[in-house]
Amino acid sequence: MIVSEEKARSRRVLAELLWAEKYRPRTLDEIVNQDEIVARLKKFVEEKNAPHLLFAGPPGTGKTTAAHCFAHDLYGEDYHRYMLELNASDERGIEVIRSKVKEFARAKLPGNIPFKIVLLDEADNMTADAQQALRRLMEMYTATTRFILIANYPSKIIEPIQSRCAVFRFTPLKKEDVVSRLKWICEQEKVDCEENALETIYDISEGDMRRAINILQAAAAIGRVTVDTVYKVVGLAHPHEIREMIKLALAGKFTEARNRLRTLMINYGLSGNDIVKQIHREIFSGEIQLPEEYKILIADYTGEIQFRLVEGADDEIQLNAFIARLAFIGKKLGYKA
Amino acid sequence: MARRIPWIIKYRPKRIDDVEDQDKAKAQFVAWLKQWLSGKTPSKKAALLYGPAGCGKTSLVEAAAHEYGLEIVEMNASDFRRRSDIERIAGVAAVQRSLFARGKIILLDEVDGISGRADQGAVDAILRLIEISRYPVVMTANDPWSQSLKPIRDASLLIPFNRLTERHVLNVLKKICAAERLECEEEALRIIARRSEGDLRSAINDLQAIGEGYGRVTRALVQQLVTYRNREYAPWDALRNMFNAKYIFQAKMALSQANLDYDQVLLWVNEHIPTYYKDPEEIWRAYEALSRADVYMGRIRKTGSWEFLSYAFEMAGPGVAFARKQYKYRWAKFTMPERIKLLAKYKKQRETREGIAMALSKRLATSRRTVKREVLPYLRVIFRNAKNPEYAARIALAYGFTEEMIRFLAGEDKAREVLAYYRKYARK
Repeated sequence: MIVSEEKARSRRVLAELLWAEKYRPRTLDEIVNQDEIVARLKKFVEEKNAPHLLFAGPPGTGKTTAAHCFAHDLYGEDYHRYMLELNASDERGIEVIRSKVKEFARAKLPGNIPFKIVLLDEADNMTADAQQALRRLMEMYTATTRFILIANYPSKIIEPIQSRCAVFRFTPLKKEDVVSRLKWICEQEKVDCEENALETIYDISEGDMRRAINILQAAAAIGRVTVDTVYKVVGLAHPHEIREMIKLALAGKFTEARNRLRTLMINYGLSGNDIVKQIHREIFSGEIQLPEEYKILIADYTGEIQFRLVEGADDEIQLNAFIARLAFIGKKLGYKA
Repeated sequence: MARRIPWIIKYRPKRIDDVEDQDKAKAQFVAWLKQWLSGKTPSKKAALLYGPAGCGKTSLVEAAAHEYGLEIVEMNASDFRRRSDIERIAGVAAVQRSLFARGKIILLDEVDGISGRADQGAVDAILRLIEISRYPVVMTANDPWSQSLKPIRDASLLIPFNRLTERHVLNVLKKICAAERLECEEEALRIIARRSEGDLRSAINDLQAIGEGYGRVTRALVQQLVTYRNREYAPWDALRNMFNAKYIFQAKMALSQANLDYDQVLLWVNEHIPTYYKDPEEIWRAYEALSRADVYMGRIRKTGSWEFLSYAFEMAGPGVAFARKQYKYRWAKFTMPERIKLLAKYKKQRETREGIAMALSKRLATSRRTVKREVLPYLRVIFRNAKNPEYAARIALAYGFTEEMIRFLAGEDKAREVLAYYRKYARK
């Protein structure tokens, strides 16, 4: 046992965390932006009372982090015991959510703990029916639990839930916030970086802190953090295989396009659905030269294929049908890559 | 891949004597044909050649035409449904004198393909063709005994063909081996012949598939590739029959006789649509049909209603076969699909990706979906492109990645370096 403890300790020393985890704020005080929101949450901690909460805003603006910090400040280091994390897009249906919440809410509370927290991420991915069921759940356990719902699009949350929650709107982070945070991380990690490289990272990540930090770490791993390395990271992270597959198909090279498709599925482990969504993005990206009306035609067919993926049995067959259609359209248009 | 000439065409008999066996049928047919050639019209203006598949019916007609300098006008029995076609065929083929003043044989292959109520019009049309034709009308059939073909039987001279024996099939295979200068073991040819059950066409196709694929025909190769019996066909035979089917029933039957699981049938077709088709429109139409077939398979899987299977096969077989703009027998080599070899790999990679997302999702307080979209791409960059592979190994250690996950993130080459560090740490 002693040996294995030693082992564990030495591993901890060697282990290298992702910066997105390492530099995630642990307490409300560590959150450097969203000042108003932080102030209100601190007030709840002080009063040891809070309503249900709805955190809304674009990705990477600190919604989930704020929820964790809130729980931390409320319960202390082992806050995980009093918080149930659920993910609407990962759990299979409202029934699973219901049974998990039921079991979690049943456990007794120590006297100094006012309530438990159910954190439900991506709540806007739930259907209206599931949200109705969720609303009933919130009411049923309201004596002992508070729900924190997280959503990118608050308009997709049904009215009855919105009216039961205090709504917090998270805004995209400002350039100076992101850049100063990145600079601070560079100092901690003793990483050499160019100032305008950090600005480039901000421009690319569009105020998404998580993405900004991921790009920074990858850039630092492959070289000095310069504007060039940043662009290199972005290019490497988002492979052009899908775009190339589309272009090959349009140029009538069906078999080569099919080989690309297989690479994507095998090397990247992408599902048919992942690929279809990226195809949809590529079609409108401006990188693929096509008459406007054909883009619409292809977008329509992309939707049809996505539907058949859900209905069908084999992803590759469906995507082959898609690239075969592209090849035919390309031929009619006399497409030149 | 260059399309080669099918041996069944390359080696089709040029003279009546070259046709293997069938002496009685030959005598009957030649006597009937000679009546036409001497200017008399026989009492039966049509001949119906019947017998099992690949026993030489069409070959005999072609050999006779060649020997007597006759032109063959081949017609597809399914063309006979529309009145305009009947007029055209009756008017042009049956009455008009042949170009260069040659005689003609009007050939209707596989008339048993039209049996059934829906095709009653076709039977009438054939009868009318026989009535007005100035040329010999020759039909072939595997099974001429259905009720709907009775009027045609009555109007025709019936010429039966025997199933070829193993010895006869073997004779032909040996001749082809000699002509192709192919190294063939006698025992190997014997197995092909036995397995063909008298179907010379399928035997020649098997010989070509093995001979061209491997450059020699040995007993071991044959046993490996040709072990299907009792109306079950090797997948490549089934595909060849399916793609080259002239009628819906043939295409459908071909698929159902393939010695494969239902899902595998679709994978074979999926692989070989571009092997058989080269025209983008045909490829697209074929895949559109296959896509429909796959949707039916999905419904079967979800609902458990096997009654959808029929639709799936109609789309995957006839739907794909009739994607062609016009019929032409095309030779293509149908090999084992890459996909089947890769199937396990696909699944494993998908699972590995999920596993990584799961491991990171908890620690980063992010959904698996967001991890896959926002974190995995940068993690790959680190694992594949880091100056120092040790760095990647340390991250792997922090999140308890398996070696499989490291290979997924780093790719085979880079993974070796990362794993070297990783294993060193893991021992500590």
